[in-house]
Amino acid sequence: MAEQIFFFVFAILAVGSAIAVVSLRNPVHSVISLMVCFLQMAALFVMLRSPFIAVVQVFVYVGAVLVLFLFVIMMLDIAKAGMERFVSGGKLWVIALLGALLLEMVLMISRSRLSAITAPAAGRLTGTVREVGEALFTKYILPFEVVSLILLVALLGAIVLGRKELR
Amino acid sequence: MIELLLIGIKVVVVTLIVFALPLPLTYIERKVAGHIQVRLGPYRVGPHGILQPFADMVKLMFKEDIIPAKADPWLFRIAPVIAMVPAFVVFATIPFGEKVTLPILNYEVNLYISNMDTGILYILAIAGLSVYGIILGGWASNSKYPLLGGLRSSAQMISYELALSFACIGVVMIVNSLSLVDIVKAQSGWHWNILYQPVGFVIFFIAGLAEINRIPFDLPEDEGTLGAGYHAEYSSMRFAFFMLTEYVAMVSMSILIVLLFLGGWDGPAFLPGIVWFLLKVAMLIYIIIWTRFTYPRYRYDQLMSIGWKILLPLSLANILITGLVII
Amino acid sequence: MNRNHYNFDLNGLLKKVFFVDLIQGLFITFHYTFSKTITMKYPDEETWIPYKRFRGLHTLNKNKEGKELCVGCELCQKSCPTQCITVVPMQDTTGKGIADRVAYRWEINLLRCMFCGLCEDACPTEALKLGREYELAGTSMQRHLLTKEELLAPQAVPAEFEGGVIVKARLGTDETGIKVVPDMSVQKRWW
Ligand code: SF4
Ligand code: SF4
Repeated sequence: MAEQIFFFVFAILAVGSAIAVVSLRNPVHSVISLMVCFLQMAALFVMLRSPFIAVVQVFVYVGAVLVLFLFVIMMLDIAKAGMERFVSGGKLWVIALLGALLLEMVLMISRSRLSAITAPAAGRLTGTVREVGEALFTKYILPFEVVSLILLVALLGAIVLGRKELR
Repeated sequence: MIELLLIGIKVVVVTLIVFALPLPLTYIERKVAGHIQVRLGPYRVGPHGILQPFADMVKLMFKEDIIPAKADPWLFRIAPVIAMVPAFVVFATIPFGEKVTLPILNYEVNLYISNMDTGILYILAIAGLSVYGIILGGWASNSKYPLLGGLRSSAQMISYELALSFACIGVVMIVNSLSLVDIVKAQSGWHWNILYQPVGFVIFFIAGLAEINRIPFDLPEDEGTLGAGYHAEYSSMRFAFFMLTEYVAMVSMSILIVLLFLGGWDGPAFLPGIVWFLLKVAMLIYIIIWTRFTYPRYRYDQLMSIGWKILLPLSLANILITGLVII
Repeated sequence: MNRNHYNFDLNGLLKKVFFVDLIQGLFITFHYTFSKTITMKYPDEETWIPYKRFRGLHTLNKNKEGKELCVGCELCQKSCPTQCITVVPMQDTTGKGIADRVAYRWEINLLRCMFCGLCEDACPTEALKLGREYELAGTSMQRHLLTKEELLAPQAVPAEFEGGVIVKARLGTDETGIKVVPDMSVQKRWW
């Protein structure tokens, strides 16, 4: 019971702040909302009995990625940025696209086996780090390495783009 | 039921202690500063100026709370709180000792609020959030120097958090656990991690100084060039919140160093563990204050090159070598 | 590091790696932490007695027989660049002065005085001296308008006293301002 109350608190906050991210005019306020959203996600991860993922969420997204966001956004001319339209030109096709996307998501969720997750997972909060680590380095070693390779490629690309002589 | 009650009591006690800590710390800092500079430090309020922090507190409370006209009022108000909350939340998983038996009730109490499986990661992640208060405070002030302070703070945090976390990984590899209680237990009997991870210790200490914005890395509030930096526009209690955050961060960083590298509450048996723990933490706090009044501030480009070109490669090499030794 | 010469400076490198310079710096400040402080506990416990040459609050002196040295010549009034001294002379045959002319009024406005000492130099009888009192802050204007009677009263630090020492003191306050009362019995050198 208590768990459900907490879930709804976190979920409503998460959705609300996510909506705020796209609807707020001031980019810095949007970043704050995004931070709130990420923190709620972390809380939801804890409720799913995976504190490790929650902490990583806070560590990586809130602690590092968003700081970089802020770093860039703080340089913007806020008054001007606030006036700019998100999508220039006609809006109709955008709305149509979004509607299609929403429909697709609803369909996917209703068809998938995601509903099984709502059953309370094993009520255990310890030992999860070890399990995650083991799974990552045995069963999922190939995806893990592929992902790291992709990240490395992206990193190198950024460095190449950033070098002055090659531009 | 009694468990829940105990957790509640522990939370309240720890919060109160942490809230009150900056009072003696400001006094000690000013006294140490005074004596290092061959002065006396605060002397007039109470014997040897011992009541000075209370006088300061009262003064700060009754000062006018100024919000600049062009500031973002909402963010300006909330930024000190954003800075302060993570500094306190960190203490949720910091252990101060192992079990003690309460003298009268004869009930065993753990000297930590929770022993999280992901303890050290949690602390690093949450402690990193404090920087938002600084960045947003700097931005919301809508003035040049605070903005520069905020920018510096964000770049500094990104650069040094990496080295800080990598320095922890060496310890985690040796101990095989992320839980702080396990890390301390593994060091009992003089197997302190500083002996096995001297490089990690040095990196952690330096990066930690940068993380909590202390001299020689206090560029976000550089008095010399930024005129108090990110909190230049703050006054009254909001300014006090920033100060509070800074001192609490100093305490938690010292505690973290003690737990990770200096054996936590491990020490010769003639004193109880908690006393050893507090002694070590006090010593580290003294060292941090001592360095503050010994060294000048680094230049910003020097700060960046220390972070990226020295500490980060060193910490990576440290992880590599630790891994090789363990295998 | 100088890039032009390729001498490998092992000593310098080791010094850097082990933070030798930084640790030396720490020891220097540690040494200072426990050295004697050079500040004094002014005004609660100690106060500084300046040397004789000090130019503080004015005094009007008497000679050994207790006669007023001031002859009301008004030279101090003339020499004062800020015109803060007012002297009104009068004839006096009672013998309270050293001649038959004394000051009827001798007033000074300390708010305008800049303690240049020209009045002291101008005085032909050495009646006027700039003493060693320097805690002149006050809360009322009246405190800074001093008359002959107040100036004739002896100051806490006698004129013959050499000065240049720290003495015990007590902080006294009244409604007109602050007065630090020195206790000349306990003296110590500053260094
Ligand atoms: S010290 Fe100078 S300014 Fe003061 S009364 Fe004497 S002459 Fe005038
Ligand atoms: S104090 Fe000296 S200069 Fe002034 S009136 Fe008296 S005798 Fe003349």
